[in-house]
Amino acid sequence: MTVEIQNELFDSLRLELRRGCLVLAVLAQLRVEHYGYTLRKALADQGLEIEESTLYPLLRRLETQGLLTSEWREEEKRNKRFYRLSAEGAVILEQLLAEWTGINDSLHRILKNEKER
Amino acid sequence: MDLLERYLQAVGNYLPGKGKQDTLAELRANLIAEMEGREEELGRPLNEAEVSAVLERHGRPVIVASRYLPQHYLIGPGLFPIYWYTLLKSFPLVVLAYTVAEGSFLLFGGGGAAQFGSAIAKFPYVVFTFWGWMTLGFAAFEFAQGRYIDQIKWDKGWDPRALPERAAGKEPSLANRVADLVMNALGLMWLLAVPNHPYLVLGPGAPLKKLSLTLTPDWHVFYWQIVGLLAVMLVLKAVALFASARLRAGLKLTCQAIGILILVVMVQARTYFAPLREGSNQLSLTNLASINYSLNLAFKIALAVTVVKFLWDLWQTLAGSRMKAAGFVRVF
Repeated sequence: MTVEIQNELFDSLRLELRRGCLVLAVLAQLRVEHYGYTLRKALADQGLEIEESTLYPLLRRLETQGLLTSEWREEEKRNKRFYRLSAEGAVILEQLLAEWTGINDSLHRILKNEKER
Repeated sequence: MDLLERYLQAVGNYLPGKGKQDTLAELRANLIAEMEGREEELGRPLNEAEVSAVLERHGRPVIVASRYLPQHYLIGPGLFPIYWYTLLKSFPLVVLAYTVAEGSFLLFGGGGAAQFGSAIAKFPYVVFTFWGWMTLGFAAFEFAQGRYIDQIKWDKGWDPRALPERAAGKEPSLANRVADLVMNALGLMWLLAVPNHPYLVLGPGAPLKKLSLTLTPDWHVFYWQIVGLLAVMLVLKAVALFASARLRAGLKLTCQAIGILILVVMVQARTYFAPLREGSNQLSLTNLASINYSLNLAFKIALAVTVVKFLWDLWQTLAGSRMKAAGFVRVF
């Protein structure tokens, strides 16, 4: 396998790994109201960088699925669209977090066992 | 901000009318906030190159717009494996149908080399038409799923115990079986065409005329016997294409038995060629006897080999059935 193919494969797998986590992070972060730009900043400040072109359409999709609610409001003399977790979104978030915690714990156990061998 | 407006206009070109203004207004607000954040970091307004860099990083308009659109599939990932499997499995049948149809037309319709060339040239068109209709059918099914009919869960509601039985040996693929059937069909069509087109048999054997030889009158008897047996074999092979693995094994043995019968007919014939007219020279008659003897011997050897192969396959099939009846199951 050439280095180029290896890098491409890593990028593709990394993207797959991140995709589900990003949804979880966005839903969790939107327990507090944000508009697109401040949400991106808030996630980046906590070490999770997301491209604008990925995040903004994702917000729309999550809203269409009923997991977020949004409203246009004026802030600093500009109209902005603010997003917040909906009641249904909060339920789904709890379920997803339980799932993620289970996967994370399993991975930790697998990795720990590997180290001990 | 002219660059921003041009960018938004370009993105808008790829968005559907419904919700377009809303999407662009949100995108504008976010991009302006992005630029203002950058200005705050730098402590000065952005120049055109810096605005351009922000927009370039955000993405090409057509790509950005596509991310706001719902995901559409002509054939979705759930249905695609079924579509691909159906294409692969039905393609040999298309080849079979086309070969039989064009072959019949070629042999009985009086077509020559031009007709043969035309049949070959038309084949890609037939393949593309088949592929187009299959794709269209599956795309329509994909579209209807969830809208007009329930979404089918392909990975649910199946029983592993209903899987086909494991083949005892290496089972020929569908393509191989179709190729075998095509060859059988062509062989039969060739044989049927021989009485009206003698060149089909004497063409390659043209020197026979110079030797004043012809086929014996016995041919009329065993010709129809062979035609009948080949026709039965053809039908059985066609049935085997759609039969279960168990039935297929039985049909395969039956076809082998018919093959043996054809060779028995050929062996019984004994004399294949006769002098064309009286008065043929003695050397020709000696050679003729030698040719007939050699041919008969060749058919006898072929018969012996075929019988041994048939008995071996029969034993294998029966041994496999006995193992299964005793409750043994091959797992690996």
